[in-house]
Amino acid sequence: MIEVESLTKRFATETAVEDVTFSVREGEIVGFLGPNGAGKTTTMRVLTGFLPPTHGTARIAGNDIVTRSREARAALGYLPESAALYPEMRVREFLTYRARLEGVARGEIRRRVDEVVEHCLLSEVAGRKVENLSRGYRQRAALASALVHQPPVLILDEPTVGLDPAQIIKIREMIRELGRDRAVLLSTHILPEVDAVCDRVLIIDRGRIVAEGTPQELRSRLAGSPVLRAAFKGKVTARDALAALPRVTGVEEEAHDGETRVRVECEPGSDLAEEVFHLAVSKGWVLRELARDAVPIEDVFVRLTRHDAPATTPEAPAPDAQEGGGEEEGGAEVEAGGEAEAEP
Amino acid sequence: MRRFLAIVGREWRAYFFSPLAYVILAAFLLMNGLIFSAIVAFLNNPGAPKGQALTLLFTNTYFWLFNLFVVPIIAMRLFAEERKSGTIEILLTSPVTETVVVLGKWVGALGFFLTLWLPTVAYVLILRAQTPIDFGPVAAGYLAIALLGGYFLSVGTFASTLTKNQIVAAILTFAMLIPIFSAGLLESMVTDPDKRNILNHFNLWDHMDEFSRGVVDTRRLVYYLSTTVFFLFLSTVTLTAKKETP
Repeated sequence: MIEVESLTKRFATETAVEDVTFSVREGEIVGFLGPNGAGKTTTMRVLTGFLPPTHGTARIAGNDIVTRSREARAALGYLPESAALYPEMRVREFLTYRARLEGVARGEIRRRVDEVVEHCLLSEVAGRKVENLSRGYRQRAALASALVHQPPVLILDEPTVGLDPAQIIKIREMIRELGRDRAVLLSTHILPEVDAVCDRVLIIDRGRIVAEGTPQELRSRLAGSPVLRAAFKGKVTARDALAALPRVTGVEEEAHDGETRVRVECEPGSDLAEEVFHLAVSKGWVLRELARDAVPIEDVFVRLTRHDAPATTPEAPAPDAQEGGGEEEGGAEVEAGGEAEAEP
Repeated sequence: MRRFLAIVGREWRAYFFSPLAYVILAAFLLMNGLIFSAIVAFLNNPGAPKGQALTLLFTNTYFWLFNLFVVPIIAMRLFAEERKSGTIEILLTSPVTETVVVLGKWVGALGFFLTLWLPTVAYVLILRAQTPIDFGPVAAGYLAIALLGGYFLSVGTFASTLTKNQIVAAILTFAMLIPIFSAGLLESMVTDPDKRNILNHFNLWDHMDEFSRGVVDTRRLVYYLSTTVFFLFLSTVTLTAKKETP
């Protein structure tokens, strides 16, 4: 439903998006992940027809965004980064306006508006002015307005930004449901969101796609060594015994609160959970906890977008020249890299 | 067409949600109330040419002051507000062309401008009950107001596409309207008849005088309509080009 072919967007002084190619099928939710200024919003703005591409093209539901721009725009529902709404309008009034603007047939408007009001759980506030709504309701009203003409393609720019956890869960559920029979492209700065919602992830950095795949694929492809964590009752000396196990590359031990906690690093592709268990049994250690550390998607993300790492794109200019490339207005894109670095 | 009407309707209604609209409306009614009382005083004079009294409604200094100050304020929010709040993205990513967006907003603003004038129809009707009125010049006067309003608002629309800041848009509009308005006034300072003739084509004050006496000159229509189209065209161009800046 969304097909992007070597899309490039240059502004006067900078290249925001460079040679990006990807596609989103019907019934698929694709997450767009990248650090601040990586080109996520710019890509979305090009896809929605707000910005013209410099090179390359894209098709929305088979319509070229340049040559059949109106048809392409008619086929998509767009939730901009700012969840832009007219503050003086009432929710129902705004939805009706957007329905008319999107070209919903006159006789259909009422029914469609009722549908999205119900679907997005807005009935309580349908008669209220947008300016008096909480952030969560506003976001839902904006989402509702992007759905009112039943577009087969949805482009959502940071749909959960600024919401509280309960609201985030609600919106995510809604997006998952919407993704069943639509093509959804969403950008996010909340990394676990990708795990929670997306079927596939595109990681974009400095205007280029640096990785693509399901969250699991990315993890296994890019993860470092698997790590086991275990806790034993009392103070035991586990380090040497554990280090003697085959395929163990490192052990850290730490005792406190009447427990000995160990962190066992293994060779890539190995799973030593059973060996650790048997060792504990044979030594008579009381095992209180044994867990595989899931490689957080954050690690994958940081690995891919760390700018001091060897350049992912050999022909790319010096990092300095691209710093802040494609910086969007408002700066609402939270520094994803910074968040990730808080992880061990 | 339905999308166009959706934009027009929203623009027109948006004015009534802001206190500014009511301030303008109140100031406008006060001003026209004063002018109306002047008209009544004029008619009380036994020698007054009765049919001409309403000309005053369209040709007085306040009329011009009002238009030069109020049009920038009406037009300033058209695009600047949407650009600031980000709603411009909704508008420009919906399946409508930039031209329809510009026209819709301009017509909505013109609708509000004409709404301001609506109460003055009451004056006409009140006078009608008391004294004979020639409706031709009155109709021409209102036509002139629509033309002038459309012209000035197209300048304001253009200025509003240039910036995110409404105040800047208003000042820009004012700065453009002042030369547009005063170019024609140079006519009275020039003696060369050829130059006078040229300048007369830009003499808005004179035009308004003509219209309110019932003279609808095609040259004037061409001037107002073509400049309006020109500024609306410029608005479409800047709206398209402005998106290029990150």
